[in-house]
This record gives sequence, C-alpha cells and structure tokens, in this order.
Amino acid sequence: MFSTIFKFELAHWLRQPAIYVYAIVFLLLATGAMAADLGIFDGASSGQYIGNAPLSIYRMITFFQELMLFLLPAVMGNAIYRDFKYQVHRVLFAYPFTKIQYVAAKFLSSLLVVLALSSLIVVGIFLGTQLPGIPTGTTVSFVGAPYWHTYLIYILPNMLCWGALVFVVVSLSRNSYAGFITVIVLILLGEILGRVLSNSDTQFLGVLLDPLGEQGMAYYTRYWTVDERNAQALPLSGGIILNRLLWLGLSAIFLIWGYTRFTLSERPLSWRWGKKPAAKMTFAVPSKTIRLALPKVRCQFSRWHQLKTAWQLSNFDFLFILRSWSFISIVLAGLLFVVFSLLQMNPQFEMKILPVTWVMLKFPLLFFSLIIVGLTFLYAGMLIHRAKMAKMDQLVDTTPMPNWVFLCSKFLALVKMQMALLSLLMIGGMAVQTYQGYYQYEIAHYIFDLYALHLIYFVLWAFVAVFVQTIFTNPYLGLFFLLLTAGGISILPDIGIEHPVFRFNQDPNPDWLYAYSDLDGHGSGMGMYFAYKTYWLLGGLLLYLAAFLFWSRGLSLTFQERLRIAKQRLKGRAVLSLIVLLMAFSGLGLGLYRMDKETLSNEEQELWMVHNEQIYKQYENTVQPRITGVKVNVDIFPETHSFKVAGSYSLSNRSQQPIDTLLLHYAFNEVTEYRLLPKYEVISRDTVHRIDVLKLREKLLPGDSLTLFFNIKNDQGNSKVKSNGTYFDNSIFPGLGYRAVELTDNAKREKYGLPRRAIDKPFPSDSAALYHSYSGHDADWIDFEAIVSTSGDQIAIAPGYLQKEWREGNRRYFHYKMDHKIKNYFGFNSGRFAVKKDRWKNVDLEIYYHPTHTHNLQSMINGLKGTLAYNTKYFSPYQHQQARIIEFPNSLGSFATTFANSIPFSELRFIADVETGAIDFPFYVAAHEMAHQWWGNQLLPADVLGAKMLTESLSEYTALKVLEKQYGKDQMRKFLKFDLDLYLRGRGRENKAEMPLIHTYPHQNYISYRKGALAFYALSDYLGEEKLNQTIQSYLKKVQFQEAPYTTSLELMHHLRQAAPDSLQYLITDLFETITLYDNRIEKAAATPLEDGQYRVDLQFVISKYHSGEQGKRVYNNKGKSGLINDKNRSLPLNDYIEIGIFGSQGNILYLQKQKITKIDNQLSFVVNQKPAEVGVDPYHKLIDVNTGDNRLTTNQ
Amino acid sequence: MTLHISNLSKTYPNGVHALAALNLDIGTGMFGLLGPNGAGKSTLMRTIATLQEPDAGSIFFDKIDVLSDKMSLRKVLGYLPQDFGVYPKLSADRLLHYFAALKGVHSKKERQLLIDRVLEITNLMDHRRKNVYDYSGGMKQRFGIAQLLLNNPKLIIVDEPTAGLDPAERRRFLNVLREVGTQNTVIFSTHIVDDVKELCHELAILHQGQLLNQATPAAAIASLQGKIWTKVISRADLAQMEAKYQVLSSSYNQDDGLTIRVASDQRPDGEFLPTAPQLEDVYFSVLKHH
Repeated sequence: MFSTIFKFELAHWLRQPAIYVYAIVFLLLATGAMAADLGIFDGASSGQYIGNAPLSIYRMITFFQELMLFLLPAVMGNAIYRDFKYQVHRVLFAYPFTKIQYVAAKFLSSLLVVLALSSLIVVGIFLGTQLPGIPTGTTVSFVGAPYWHTYLIYILPNMLCWGALVFVVVSLSRNSYAGFITVIVLILLGEILGRVLSNSDTQFLGVLLDPLGEQGMAYYTRYWTVDERNAQALPLSGGIILNRLLWLGLSAIFLIWGYTRFTLSERPLSWRWGKKPAAKMTFAVPSKTIRLALPKVRCQFSRWHQLKTAWQLSNFDFLFILRSWSFISIVLAGLLFVVFSLLQMNPQFEMKILPVTWVMLKFPLLFFSLIIVGLTFLYAGMLIHRAKMAKMDQLVDTTPMPNWVFLCSKFLALVKMQMALLSLLMIGGMAVQTYQGYYQYEIAHYIFDLYALHLIYFVLWAFVAVFVQTIFTNPYLGLFFLLLTAGGISILPDIGIEHPVFRFNQDPNPDWLYAYSDLDGHGSGMGMYFAYKTYWLLGGLLLYLAAFLFWSRGLSLTFQERLRIAKQRLKGRAVLSLIVLLMAFSGLGLGLYRMDKETLSNEEQELWMVHNEQIYKQYENTVQPRITGVKVNVDIFPETHSFKVAGSYSLSNRSQQPIDTLLLHYAFNEVTEYRLLPKYEVISRDTVHRIDVLKLREKLLPGDSLTLFFNIKNDQGNSKVKSNGTYFDNSIFPGLGYRAVELTDNAKREKYGLPRRAIDKPFPSDSAALYHSYSGHDADWIDFEAIVSTSGDQIAIAPGYLQKEWREGNRRYFHYKMDHKIKNYFGFNSGRFAVKKDRWKNVDLEIYYHPTHTHNLQSMINGLKGTLAYNTKYFSPYQHQQARIIEFPNSLGSFATTFANSIPFSELRFIADVETGAIDFPFYVAAHEMAHQWWGNQLLPADVLGAKMLTESLSEYTALKVLEKQYGKDQMRKFLKFDLDLYLRGRGRENKAEMPLIHTYPHQNYISYRKGALAFYALSDYLGEEKLNQTIQSYLKKVQFQEAPYTTSLELMHHLRQAAPDSLQYLITDLFETITLYDNRIEKAAATPLEDGQYRVDLQFVISKYHSGEQGKRVYNNKGKSGLINDKNRSLPLNDYIEIGIFGSQGNILYLQKQKITKIDNQLSFVVNQKPAEVGVDPYHKLIDVNTGDNRLTTNQ
Repeated sequence: MTLHISNLSKTYPNGVHALAALNLDIGTGMFGLLGPNGAGKSTLMRTIATLQEPDAGSIFFDKIDVLSDKMSLRKVLGYLPQDFGVYPKLSADRLLHYFAALKGVHSKKERQLLIDRVLEITNLMDHRRKNVYDYSGGMKQRFGIAQLLLNNPKLIIVDEPTAGLDPAERRRFLNVLREVGTQNTVIFSTHIVDDVKELCHELAILHQGQLLNQATPAAAIASLQGKIWTKVISRADLAQMEAKYQVLSSSYNQDDGLTIRVASDQRPDGEFLPTAPQLEDVYFSVLKHH
C-alpha cells in the first residue's frame, strides 16, 4: 500500500504545472544570480574573490535557503492538506491502509519533490559558473565538494527538519496556511536568535541554536582572509555538527509526537480550549403558514452610501485579519524580534545610543517593513479571494453592490491593517523607552513619521498587491509573484536601472527617510520624498484602476473572457481616469527624471572619472602656487537653506621655478565665481569636471604672491544649510591642481583603455611624493580669518578666536581669527546651541550642543581634559588656548573631525547611552579627536601610504592611554579586545590588499585605527610607556609644523628602532613592518602544592607565529630562513618575548612576566605562593592572535 | 412581473451545450425547474442570477435587461445557490448584517429590524449568536433563505435547496419558500419531483439545455389522465417489458417483485391496471420521449 500511495503522490506532483514553474524559477534565479555575481553583466570583476570558491558557493546556495523553505508549505504542507481540501479524506480514510503507510508515503514523496526542487538551486549555481562570457579570474576550476557539502550539511537537514515541522503542523491543523506561517515564524525566530546572541560572548550559543545552521558558518569563518576565503575548504567544526544534530533530533521527536496525534478521522485536531458545542438541530413543529411581513426598509445606492458601505465592509475585512491566528502569530514573532533588537541594539559596534524616538522608529522599521509588506501581499490575496475561498462568492456576487465598493473595501482593509501594524511600532517603541527609563515621548514625531512618511510606502505596495492578487486567481501564486516582484525591484540597480523614476517605490535618497535629527528634524529632503511618492501614488492608482477593470465577479473565467470584460468596463469615467492618471503619472515622472538627471549613474560616474583623468592627468606635475592665507565672509541663511561665501586666498609660489599655468577646480554642486589678481586668461573652462585652466599674463616668480577672490553660493534646491545645525567644511572651496579622482579597479581601467595603476598612493620611500601634504596638495599651513553670519537665534562658529560679535538687523555676525598658522582644513557651524563651558589650566573648553542633549557633556569634557593632560605631559604643549566641541545633526553622518580649535561632533555621540561598565565612547571619541590636535594638526604627514599611522594610530594610542588613566585597565582591555576583533574581521573583508601598518591605505581603518592601537599599546607594554612616549616626543619635536618635504611613517620607525633594544627589534618589524599573527595556545596547566605552602605550576604551551601575505596567505619562512616545524604546528623562527600569567581564584595576578621563547612547544614551571586558578600565555592578548579563546586555561590540581 | 428568456445559449469551453436556444416565460408564483443532473438547470439559474454570461440570447425581468443591467436585477434578486459556504467564526446575526449592508440597507436600526424578522421567519432566532459555519445542513439552508430575503426580492432563485434535508427540515423550508412565492417570482430547481408537485404554480422540464415541457402541475398531470398503467412483474421480466412497452418507472415490492408504470394511450394488455397519473410520470415520460 505504501508504494501505491507513494507512486500516486509522485505522479500527482509531476502533473502539477506549479512544480515546473518553481523548477524553472529556481533554476533561472540561481543561474542568473551566480552569473551576475561572477560579473557576467558588468563585464569586469571587482575585488579578488573567487566566485566559485567553497565559501562563495556555500553563500550562494544558502542565499536561496529561505526561498527553498517556502517550498515546504507549498509542497509538503499541500501534500497532506490536499486530501482535506477536496474532502478526499472522508473517503480515503475508510480505505484499508494503515496510518504509517499513509503518513510515510505522503511525507517521503513530498520530501523527495522538495529535495529535487532545492537541488535545482545547486544545479543552477553550478550552471551559472559555467556560462560563457564570465570574465577570467573570477573562477577556478570546478570542485564538487562545496556543492555537496552545503547541500548535505545545510539544505538537506533543513528541508528534513522543517519539512517535518510543516508537515506535522499542517496535518494536525488541517490548514495549509499554517504551514506558511510556520515557515515565516521560523525565519523570524532564527533572526531573533541571531540578533539576541550576536555579541561575542553569546555568539557560540547562537551557533548551536540557529535553526538553519548558517550562524555556525559565519562564526567559523569570521576572521577568514581573502586567501582563506578563496581556497579553504568549508569548515565542519563541532558547533556546526552539534547544531545539525540538535535540530535533527528535535524534529524527529516532533515528527513522532505529531504522528501519534494524527488520526485518520474526519475532524481536525481541535486546539480550542472549552470549545462551544455545535448548534443543535431543533425540531420545531412546522408552522402551517408563515406571514412574510418584512418590515419596510430603505435600500440606498447613492454614491455616498456606497462609500459608507465600502468603509463598513473594510472594517469587516479588517476584523477578519485581526482575528486570524496567522496574522497574530506573525505579528507577535515580529514584535518579539523588534523589541529584542531594540533592547540589544548596537548600531555602532558596541556604542549604544539612547532610545530616542527616531532610533525607536528606524531600527524596527528596517525590519518590520518587510513584515508589513509581506502581510500586505498575503492578505491582499486572502481578502480578494475571501468569499471564493469560503464558497460564499455566489451570495456576495449577486448583491447589488458595484465592483468598486468591493475593491475599495479590500484596499481600505489592507491600509487599516498597515496602520494597525505601524501603531504597534509606536506602542512597542514607547514601551521600550519606558523600560529603559527614557521618558521624553514624542508622540507627534511618532505619528508624523509612521502615518505621514512611512505609511505611503506600504500603501503603494497595497496598490500593487491588490492588482496582482486580482489578476491571479490563486492567492499563493499571487504571493509568490509579488515576492519575486519586490525582490526584482530591489536588484534593479544591479542590472543598470538606477534612476528612481524606474524603480517602483524606491526613494532617490534612501537614507533621508531615517536620517532624523533632533536639531533639524527631517531636514530639507521632504519635498523630493513626497514628489516621488506622489508620482508612485499616481502609478498605484493606475494599478488600482486596472484592478477595477479586471475585478472578477461571478463564475471563474478564462483570461480571454476577463480581458473582454475589462474592455467592456473601460468606458466613461474609467477612460477619463485612465487618461488623466496616465498623463499625470508620465508627466510627473518625466519632470522628476529631468530634475534628477544630474545624479550620475554608476557608469556615468566612471566615464566622468575616465575623462577627468584623460584630459587633466597631464597637469599632475605642473607646479602650482600654494594657499597661504584664507579670508572669508560666510553668510548662512538657515530659513532659506542657503549660503553665500565671499573670500580670498593668498597664493604664493613656494617652488624654485616661475609659474604661468593655473589649474583651478571648484565645487560640484555649488555655483562658484572667481577672479585673480593680477591679470590672466582662461585657457579652458570645463563645467562638467569643474576645473578651469588659467594662464597668467605675467609669470609668478618664486616667492611672489597673488590673490584669488571667489564667491560661492548654493545651487537652487541644493544646499548644505540646515534649519538648525548647519555644518560644512572647505571641500566646497576652490582648489589648485589636478583633481586625482581616478578609477582604481584595474579591470575597469583596462576596459576604458587607461593604463594600469599599481598602487593608489605612493610609498613613503618615494621621496618625490613627500612634497604633498596629507591635507591637500595645494596647501599646508595657512593664516585664517572668517566673518560668519547667521540668523538671529543661532550661533555661528568657525576656527579661530572670536574677535567680535554683533547684530545687524535680525542677523548675528561673528568674527573669528586665528593667531597663528593652521592646517588648511576648516569648517563652519551654525545652530541654536546651548553652551557648556569649562577650563583646563589656561585652555577654555566649550561644548556647543542641542539643548536636550546633555547626557554625555561631562564625559566629553573629561575626554578633552584627559588628552590635554596626557599629551602636554608627554609630547608637547597644546597650540591653542581653546578647544570647542560643536554638535552637528545625525543626518550629516556619525563621525567627528578636528579643525584647529574646533571639533565638530555628530549628534550620535551626544545621544550615546553609556551603561555602567561599558566603554565610554563619548569620552573616548573626545579624547581621540583632541589627540588629533597633535597627530594631524601639529604633525602633518606627507600624502603617502602609512600617513594614517601617524594621524589615526597615534590618536588611538593616546585615547587608549587616556581611557586607561580615567577608567582603569579593565576598560582598556575591553577596548583592546574590541580592537582585535575589528582588526581580524576587517582583514577578512579586505578586497584590495592588507598592508602592514607603515603602509596602510587611507581607507583601511581596521589597520590604522584597530591594529594601530594594538601595535602601539603592545609596544608601550614591551618598551615601557615612558620610553615609547619620549621617543614619540623627540620625533614630534623634529617634525612639528613642518613644511615640505613632510614626514612619513618611516621616520617614526627610524626613531622607534633607535630607541628599542636589540632584543625587541623583531617586535617593531612584527607590529609595524609586516603582517604578523600568532596562534598561541596553552595545552596543559598543572598545579602541585609544595610543602612550604607554595605551589608549583607546570605549563605546556604552543607558540606559533606567521606572516600573512596581502591576501591573507600564511607564510612561515622569513627572508630565506626556513621556519620551525613540528608534527602539528609550524611557525616563523622564534626569538620572542611572550607574557606568561598565573592568576589566583579572584583573578589576582600571582605571576606575570615575559619569557623568551624560541621553539613551538614549550614547557615551563613556576612557583607561586598562592593556589593558582588560571594560567595564560599572552593572557591579555597584547599580541595579535586569531584565536584568543585558547590562551587561558584553568589549572588542574 | 414576468421573466422573459429568449434564445439563451451557452456552450462551455469543453464543448458541453449547457443551454441551447432556450425560450422561457415565467410569471409570478412558484416556478419549478425539473431536470436530471447536467440538464443545464444550474447554468440557467446562474445566468439569470448575473453570475454567468450566456453566449447568446436575452433575459428580461419586467423592464430590466438582465444581461446588460445586472445591477438593477441584483437589487430585486434573491439567490440561493446549490452549494454555498460562509465565513467561519461569524454568527448568523453578524453575517446577516454583512449581507444587509451589501444589499443596500444602510440604517443600522432598519437592518436590525429586518434581520430579526428574517430570523423569525426562518426560525433561527434562537441560534442567531451561533456561528453559521457550525450549523447543520437544514439550518444552513434556512440561513440561505434568511439572507435572500434581506432586500425583499421580487425575483428569487433557489437552486436545489432541499437536497440533503431531512423530512421535517424540508417541510419547514418549503413552507417558507411557499410563502415567499405568493407575491414574487420564485424559480426553484430540483430533481425531486414531489417538491414541485406540492409547491409550484408552474413547472418546466429541462433536458440537455432544452425546454421539454412547460405547464402547471395539474395540467401536466391531467395530460396523462387515463394513460398510465401499472403491473406487478418478476424481476426477470423487466428487460422484456422495457423492450415492449414504454416503462416509466419500476419499484420493488416487499416480495422482491417489481411494480412497473407504463405510459400508453390504450391499456397495453389485460394484466395492466389503470392508475392515476403522477407528476413523476410526467417527468419520466417527457424524458423518455427524448
């Protein structure tokens, strides 16, 4: 009997057209996605990842895993549901087969179908790698292992486990829907787990519990370098195996439980408690005559009454949604996720921020939007086909309600559902705020954002959903199609369709929506936002009209018949609406397209760079005068979001040769006018590349000067000025010389016929490059003076000391002047600020902040003071008498930067939520930025590789020391651990080449900040803080306020080498000049009590050190010297000092010394005078060690 | 108030001729539509009820051109399909409110009055708070009548409503229907001949999309007066009898013999006894002629 049912089932599936649709879609999607990933469409590869490397294959296959999960309800759920749906079960269950035969045949046959379909993804991905036209270098020759590894370890068990779950749920509830909901809830729960257990302490638990097993792979590969990603086989480590066994076991138990509950009987299992008895039949005596005598009622069919009916019907449908348990379970799971993620939020590494309203809105919405859109898709189908599915359609369709009333009611019900869901976010947000003790509820902000800004997005999807679900007669097919559509729209830019006018419901500036600031609210992008939303609303109404035309009433019809009916309906007002909507839609679309055509597509940007390079590269080495003085009048008009700059540069010829050709470049988005004194001619004017070539009538002789006058104002509808909290810097000011924005990807350069570029910046050994400073090629130190004006209620700030402040009319003027030369980097702020003042010795400290942002002011002041104290003690005096922190809105970024005596700080730092014991980021960032007054503003490096080691690494080092002084060693270690993790993750994501610290690229923050902090901290530990600081001090003295040629990382290295003893020269090489990592671990630790009450501790540990190539390849040989090797481990030759620690039961240090190590395997003994509890090799992770988990061990007694 | 159907044709994509140039006039009162399964009854009724489009022909209800002005017909239409479901988890009261709103009854007060009345008529008052989804078959059919009455319809179409009802329920149901049919046009399709005999003012027999007979039940029976004969035979003789005579029906007796009814202008032979014609005889004789 089993095989009969089994074969019958298989034959059934093979007859289903849907199966072939799934198969084709899966195959095409997988092939297309893989081919796209390999660059078949853009023709050039970017990065150095091998597209069919094991990890890439794994990622590609599991990318489709969630899609595959939806096969489970569609196939496995349906297999069992089909019998109930067509009521076959009444007949079938009377047949002579046993339960096990029926259930097993159904389960296994449908599982087979699912497995076959999901293997098509694997096949598709393989085909994708084999297509002709794939650029060379992105693939290696085919290896089967990653395909079957991924399939057998992930896909197959997941399909089995979750198929079993879906199967049991559907067979017990006899509701196919329940299967879909199960999958959605499952995916949500997986996300919740991942989110909740994301920090490094609980991550392993996440690996064990993740229902899909993907966390395990993420965990074990988190530090993989490019080389490892490209070559290493997929890991099958303990955590992954445990995870797989755990879920297989649980699902087996569940399957058995479900099997025992399953009965071959007529009625489904009832989940209701205390179910009401069904209505009993009554045998009233048939009365002979019944008088009809219906009361006279009015039947009203006016437009107004019909509208009211639509409203009432929508309430009826809305209630249906609210009461359906699938809705409730999805929403509950979603809310759970939202609340958890809000409570666990760590948007900036570990920097928590206060639960302000925009935060409560942003993070939940990013995720909850998906739920709302998904539910809209689903319930559009449920509502539109509701009557048909309940077989009540014939009753409903013969009522005298016009089609538009039904359509309108369904649409309204969906919108009501969306509004209800958005309300949940408001309630959830305020609940989280209350829970976290934050009582500044901004109800108006919630309401405006949720119902005015975000609702439109969902309403637009409701239009699409209503249209699609009207066209499709099967709501699940409709859902599938809608999901594909939404997915397709989101990848349009990848296939070259970038303009938002062609991408449904996508905003031209997607960040704008969430970039709320307490200073200026949503800023100035709202007009554009609503313009686009209006445009799409018109499009939505067109779809709505189409839905009306195709609305099906009466018996199901063929598509041809529906088309005929739609044509019939297209008359009168419908035609008029169609024409008006079409005209408005295309008119507005065209307008938006024209208005926004200045935004270049990716390809246009590439071309722009190509032309810029082709035309102007010839001037790269043309000597230009330097900016030596800046005087500006800046007028900021917050009310009109505009500004005007009138200024002048003093330019002088610092070279040894006369200059006659000037290259003047100016801002992209602003209007710039200029004139030179003395006379000149314009050789070429290029408004596309915004660079002009000028010829001086008389050559500018060495040492001579000239003056450039310029005026800048914002272009219309485009300004950097905010209504409150304006901040912009001198990047919009004119500059001199070739603007080196060049394509960096060599494959693309080749495509455009440009020569290859070996390296983005010159090495510090290139002495010719040392004449350009890191802050710009056209200037180093300048005199600075500015008069800044703003509206009467705002304060305007520029670098320099305030000379004078006055009012003219309703405007305020501020005159700032710097008393000595500063780096050519300055900016302007204006806002309604409150000011906090403090003093450190003779230095005035000020914070200009938004009046409610008071939480972290003291931390910031402490940070400034900490750096002032540390740096003046060890390095040099502070060059100004003032330090100001100025807040700018979150919408401009999350960064902080350092001008001469001003430090603009993002709002995000002001609303940081520092919990007790956590790292005080506002303090740390203030200390870091203040440190730039030395590392960057006193020390100005040349524009070569490694410059950021001098600015960022040294600032990180300073901030770390200041943090240690203020908060103690524990905090500092926490920070180092965080640095190590970010460094290791960063090198895993590197797609160019990892450089050693002395050659770090500007974009490699994981090196200049993270590794830099680690390296300087380790050096201070090995060399001694005093000695290191003295060395840095002597270096700083030499290069302070230096003019060209500028200093480089090599010069600091030279000082360090001289200071370090011979025994530590290796350390400087390891930390700064090479990429060196350790793989140290402790293997055995035994403590033996001695007779005198002391303890002997015997340690056995492994020290292994290796160099890493640019792509992360491990190297064990050093300059021809072959490395160490034993049966298990390899290492570079060792002559290293490694710290050994022994700790008591309270974590107190019993022993902590560096030991010289020369071999891989080591055994050492120590005597300590207390009972040891734990021992460690490099216990504080001062060295860069990929696996820090095995550096400590509890002692055996 | 008459329903005037002319030349109505419908062929399904699979080639079945459901209606073949059908002409029919129906006046006030109960109109029974008899016919075997697949005769086209449901197609005809759904077409009148605006749920389906015919390929050709026209339907007028008084002045309403049903095929082009569906909305006007729906205002006066009460329709009870052969097999219908309802939304789960909703009480009769709530569902009737829903239908009343759909039928244009706007005032909530009036709606409640009306609903109370139709619940009384259909004797569902005690069950108004229970979910219709959980109703028994008979109660559900009565609920069908209740919703149908909400717009005080002039044209009522009920498609095989008594199928599956027990005798008491059927009786109650027919009584309600009969009352409705006194003032309005009721089209009532069934394959249970007794339903028609008891209730209908007029009947028609539909077969293969064509109208075979249209008359009052009395006239139809009268037309066979003196032409129906009966005889008790043994089972083995049935084939022979069927070959020889026009056997309309046969039924088993207690002793396993068969009583056959034969249509014939003259007494077929001496062993046949004359008997009073029944409506069933009309039905079978009409079908046999085709």
